[in-house]
Amino acid sequence: MTSAGPTAPTARRSPLLIQLGGLYGIWLREVKRAIRDRGQLIGGISRPILWVLILGIGLNPYFRGEVYGEVTFVVPFTYLQFIFPAVVALNIMFTSVQSAVSVIWDREFGFLREVLVSPMSRGMVLLGKVLGGATVAVFHGCLVLLLARFADVPLTWLDVLKALGLMAMLAFALTSLGVVIANRIRSFEGFGVFSNAVILPLYFTSSSIFPIDPSLSRAQTRVVYPDWLVTIVEYNPLTYAVDALRGVLINYNQFDPRLGIAIMAIFGVVLFAIALFDFRRA
Amino acid sequence: MTGAPNSGSAIHVDALSKRYGRTLALDGVSFDVGDNELFALLGPNGAGKTTLMHILCTILRPDSGVALIGGFDVVKQPLAARRRLGIVFQEPSLDDRLTVHENLNLHGLVFGVPRKLRRQRIEEMLALVELTEWADKRARTLSSGMKRRLEIARALIHDSEIMLLDEPTAGLDAQTRDRIWSYIGRLRNERQITVLVTTHYIEEVEGFDRVCVVDHGKVLALDTPEALKRDCGQQLLRIVPKGEDNRQEILTRYADRLAGEAGESILLTSDDAFVEALLAEYGGRIRSLAIEVPSLETVFLSLTGRELRDQAAGARESTLAFGKRGGEHTR
Ligand SMILES: Nc1ncnc2c1ncn2[C@@H]1O[C@H](COP(=O)(O)OP(=O)(O)OP(=O)(O)O)[C@@H](O)[C@H]1O
Ligand SMILES: [Mg+2]
Repeated sequence: MTSAGPTAPTARRSPLLIQLGGLYGIWLREVKRAIRDRGQLIGGISRPILWVLILGIGLNPYFRGEVYGEVTFVVPFTYLQFIFPAVVALNIMFTSVQSAVSVIWDREFGFLREVLVSPMSRGMVLLGKVLGGATVAVFHGCLVLLLARFADVPLTWLDVLKALGLMAMLAFALTSLGVVIANRIRSFEGFGVFSNAVILPLYFTSSSIFPIDPSLSRAQTRVVYPDWLVTIVEYNPLTYAVDALRGVLINYNQFDPRLGIAIMAIFGVVLFAIALFDFRRA
Repeated sequence: MTGAPNSGSAIHVDALSKRYGRTLALDGVSFDVGDNELFALLGPNGAGKTTLMHILCTILRPDSGVALIGGFDVVKQPLAARRRLGIVFQEPSLDDRLTVHENLNLHGLVFGVPRKLRRQRIEEMLALVELTEWADKRARTLSSGMKRRLEIARALIHDSEIMLLDEPTAGLDAQTRDRIWSYIGRLRNERQITVLVTTHYIEEVEGFDRVCVVDHGKVLALDTPEALKRDCGQQLLRIVPKGEDNRQEILTRYADRLAGEAGESILLTSDDAFVEALLAEYGGRIRSLAIEVPSLETVFLSLTGRELRDQAAGARESTLAFGKRGGEHTR
């Protein structure tokens, strides 16, 4: 063994370089694990196909109000186009939270212990984990973008680039959310709990599968839809994220698109901070 | 060594205590491990070995006391301490979905080992633990002995100077255990590292420089295996009396000599004169008698008052015992 010596070559490296190398290592692990998880990949592919091709195409004819007597409002898009950005968000949601849940396995099966005895700071360990999960989630979001042609959504490269930026922000915030939840869970009952208790409620109340008409006044909206539903939709932060994505992908906004960006940024930072606080304490 | 403030010994532990609720897992433990020493921590289940290891590797805070690794306080300078440590935990901590090579590479990245050195170390360490052909296999496909060897290799990818191994050979067959000890022996000589091992296999610590016997969070004895045998290796007499009344009589008669009871047999501290006296009086009322010459086993027994093997029945043994008793679904 020639490399062995009392002097430590690693001690001479700059601490920042060590932290970044470790960050890369943890990120890479996260991505590799996700790629090798066949179940996750199957979900990531089948979900958009079901939502876009089956639900979207199936409900498409019923979307335009003018066909049926009294017209309440008209969205200048097909249902397929309308739901497309939301399915991108849905796929990101599932994958982000799924990646974050692996924190539980890391804790259970000792991997976490192995990195906690390394010179990596806890913040970097968590950042690597969240960035890894977010990367996989953005990748799953891109799987939906591949279906753009079937949904009649024409995309320029610039659109795709802008969408990727928004998707990354959304994925980061949601992965952090997943870690926050996972940290609070002592016994793990399977992923179904997460999808039923967190993902689907958030998704359905985010104006993702039906629009809240922007041309109506606040009072009018509350006539068309029950009061409580409008309130929930307006308070759901995901509403604004989906809306921002819709603005980029199909050029339709119900709210100011900057609102979506701001909300995702704030939630991303706050949720990560909470996750880090828990992680440091544990 | 780079500016270690209190160098002198590789590991310094002083009056370390740790309490979990009502259990006092560590109760004022103190010892020093010298540079390049092969040091064993021997104790039955629940003695506090893992608690001590976790404090040394900086993931658990002691309630009181000091622990230094290469001169660095594990509470105040955990990063400096960690850089010097190579750790093998009691529970497996490999990533099952990564390959053998990827597991080692991840460790190298996280510990900031430069790429060239990383490659070289991975190759060397895989060769050392004889897993070179397995480099591209998923960790999940390895046997438990191979996983253990991989974890040892992993602990050596960075510039570890002090190895902490928590029961590295528990649950492995004799052949694998021998191999693991031979790797550790080679490492100690070639890389000049200090090794602290916990174990409850008494026969394994014969070759160690020093052995520290712990139980109930306290250090019971600390010396070379030879000295331990000489000083506290009290000669013991193991007798199996005929019938319960004889047993009771012997127990009351020699209460002051009682060293332990294991099943039917009674263990008494003894010497040659005592054996003669006992035989003269109870010779006809004893079914069997054995003189146990001092060994680490008897040292342990006289220190802790219990037999290690009985205490250490693992899951496998208890399952087997259950099957032998004719537990459900075994017939
Ligand atoms: N996280 C914990 N919470 C509560 N009690 C604990 C915890 N960890 C250990 N203990 C208790 O502390 C004592 C020492 O445990 P420890 O794991 O250090 O023993 P050990 O010597 O490693 O035993 P083994 O040979 O079984 O690994 C035991 O009584 C155990 O029940
Ligand atoms: Mg233990």
